[in-house]
Amino acid sequence: MNEVSLSAQHLVKHYGGVVALADGNLEVNPGEVMTLVGANGSGKSTLGKIVTGVVAPDGGRLLLNDREVIFRTPHAARELGIVAVYQELSLVPRMTIAENIWLGHEWERAGGILRHAEMRQRTQELLALFEGTTHNHLDPDMPISALSPGEKQIVEILKALSWQPSVLFLDEATASLDSRQVNRLFDLIQDWKRQGMAIVFISHRLDEIYRIADRVTVLRNGRTVAAAPINELSKQELINLMIEGGVATRTNGKHLEVSTAEEILRVESLSTTTLRAINLVLRRGELVGLGGLQGQGQAELLLALFGAIPYSGQIYLYGRPVVLRRPQDAMRHQIAYVPGERNTAGLLPIQSILDNLLLPSWKHYGFPLRIRQAQADAMAIASGLKLVMANLDQPINTLSGGNAQKVVLGKWLLRRPQILLLDDPTKGVDVGTKSEFYKILSDLRAEGTSILFYSTDDEELLGLCDRVLVLHDGKITAELSGERLVHSELVAAAMGSST
Amino acid sequence: MKAALNSGLLRRLGRQYFLFSLLLLIIGVVVNASLQANFFKPIALVGLLRTYLPLVLLAAGQTIVIIGGGIDLSVGSIVSMVNVILVTRMGAEATQSQVLTAVALGLLAGTLAGALNGACIAFLRFQPLVTTFATSSIFAGIAVWVLPRPGGSVPEFFMQPYRSAPLGITFPLWVILGVALVWWYLRSTRFGRYLYATGGDAYAAYMSAVPVEWIRFFSYVASGLMAALSGLLLTMSIGTGSALIGLDMTMPSIVSVVLGGTALSGGGGGVIGTILGVFILAIIRNIISFANVPSWWQTLVNGLAVMLILAGPGIWALIRGRREA
Repeated sequence: MNEVSLSAQHLVKHYGGVVALADGNLEVNPGEVMTLVGANGSGKSTLGKIVTGVVAPDGGRLLLNDREVIFRTPHAARELGIVAVYQELSLVPRMTIAENIWLGHEWERAGGILRHAEMRQRTQELLALFEGTTHNHLDPDMPISALSPGEKQIVEILKALSWQPSVLFLDEATASLDSRQVNRLFDLIQDWKRQGMAIVFISHRLDEIYRIADRVTVLRNGRTVAAAPINELSKQELINLMIEGGVATRTNGKHLEVSTAEEILRVESLSTTTLRAINLVLRRGELVGLGGLQGQGQAELLLALFGAIPYSGQIYLYGRPVVLRRPQDAMRHQIAYVPGERNTAGLLPIQSILDNLLLPSWKHYGFPLRIRQAQADAMAIASGLKLVMANLDQPINTLSGGNAQKVVLGKWLLRRPQILLLDDPTKGVDVGTKSEFYKILSDLRAEGTSILFYSTDDEELLGLCDRVLVLHDGKITAELSGERLVHSELVAAAMGSST
Repeated sequence: MKAALNSGLLRRLGRQYFLFSLLLLIIGVVVNASLQANFFKPIALVGLLRTYLPLVLLAAGQTIVIIGGGIDLSVGSIVSMVNVILVTRMGAEATQSQVLTAVALGLLAGTLAGALNGACIAFLRFQPLVTTFATSSIFAGIAVWVLPRPGGSVPEFFMQPYRSAPLGITFPLWVILGVALVWWYLRSTRFGRYLYATGGDAYAAYMSAVPVEWIRFFSYVASGLMAALSGLLLTMSIGTGSALIGLDMTMPSIVSVVLGGTALSGGGGGVIGTILGVFILAIIRNIISFANVPSWWQTLVNGLAVMLILAGPGIWALIRGRREA
């Protein structure tokens, strides 16, 4: 194996006005496992993407064996032996396991005909590495679409391995693997280390980090704040490094009396493909946060409560059991959902503000539509939200991100929801609009609306919510309120640690 | 032993994307044979093959584009363009070398037309549907400019091969065999894999170092070349020129692809299915004409056949799911 040491120095990356990475440093040597940790938005995936050639940095430099290199594409990085196992799977569903593993570097014989049998044979050898850890026996000719998420992840790992990497990036590669598969992967990593491979391991599971890592690099707010051998840091010290010293200031007064208010929503052992036995209670006028690292099932929980994905378990509204099969069912029970991807799921971008605001409510305006009444109602909502606009006929795609997000919220307010489900509503929204948004939320709760609020911004959760439920791997691992609602507890729970 | 072999073969066939097309074709043939007494006579079959051979080539090119995640609405106009170029360049008294020059020119024109489509779609990121709709008007315009009024003729020796039967097998079958062989070769190369990957998930393909833009480009070039070959065969078949001749071939080419089990969403299917698809279409038209029903039935039956093919795998899964439940 080619022994390669990789060093990233002072990497910088901006997206528009947002600084994703301010000073990213990472160093990894042959035969070592380096882990990269950081809270949400600390820049660890940006750092990983720069080093593997997916995005180009705005500043800083990359050294391979002390020679400066520039990657324009993921392929350029791969040619030099730097291969990533991506979190978003890079597999083509309709193609077979073998076709996917060799995609982009097929073995050819004269005349351009592929050496199908040899590739199949090598695929079998690769699959044998995980033999016995999968539910089904994996065959090179199986289509990707027939595999479970864990099996897909295994194929993704084997695909990276087929490039014979010198530096291997595992970005949350264990997230969809079960414990048997993780154990096998860790055994393999030990082998690869002995062969001189350099491995960068990004994970949100603290236990795994302590099992596999030799050294750890900590990112905070886009800066590398520490790089040290793992055995020199306790879990608590690691968590303290990941969060900032300052204590979050609360933007909402605490509502201690809330805990005795009427129970609006009760969820018992709710499970989906990602969620496992979720229990929660939401009271009138309460604002409950959903925290944790991204993609731990928060979005699925909101979708299940909106009837948009199938679930098992029991949901009670006002003490009565209900079944939510479709979003219409949820809407009839006055549940509203504000999606995270506002441009695809929340808005019709080329339509007017008026059309967007009234889309879920048209049926209350008769046939033919009482357009003047509709306009008046929309106007009332728009001014209540302090929407910055020329008039109601302005198309959505001319609005700023923050204003567009207000429209997504506004279209549900017209229906006077009792329960509001928010999926990371302030993502990519400027500070001024954020505080207006917080004001709207407090007004809503004062009117008795209960809010379930998922945010990737920890400060926001700490500042806004009465309670925060922390999700990890599809389970609620902690319920934080009162004195325990502080950043260190939140991060510790998000990392799946009990400290 | 024999049973095991049979069931293995059957299972392999059962996995093929064109299973439903094959079933539909068999049903069509049975119905047709019951209506048309001489259906299995060589003269009827050869006639059918000669009529639909140009569409086989056109639909094969269309299949490549559709597998790659695009669509080509300009193929019919390319056929017209190549047809009028061939006829105007030849005339009845053309020498062998004049014919060869004309053929080379026609194939070049078709390939360039495909390259124009491909460049706009792959590199300039234009929408395939809109782009090829627009270029189809351009190519049709060129055809009218080259030959404003239908007519012209070609030398006898140019048309002769189309009616020949080397080694006792009729010419269209040789061409179809050739198309199938070229397709098999393409599928066995890197290009084949990249084509399916690009149409299946362009982002995943890009992340796997597949040159997505070039694959898209070449899929349209291939379609242009196949359309030119289709125009060549059509000219050999009818021996005259018209700027409108390919106009009614675009939609049948797309319908044949769908009838052959290739999804319009891209990333699946293949040319073998499309060849079956063309003959399903041919049989439907044949049945209509022999059943003595008004010709508007043809459109209706075409539509029903397409819906049946689209619903087929779903119905199959439903039956299978119920059996397991």
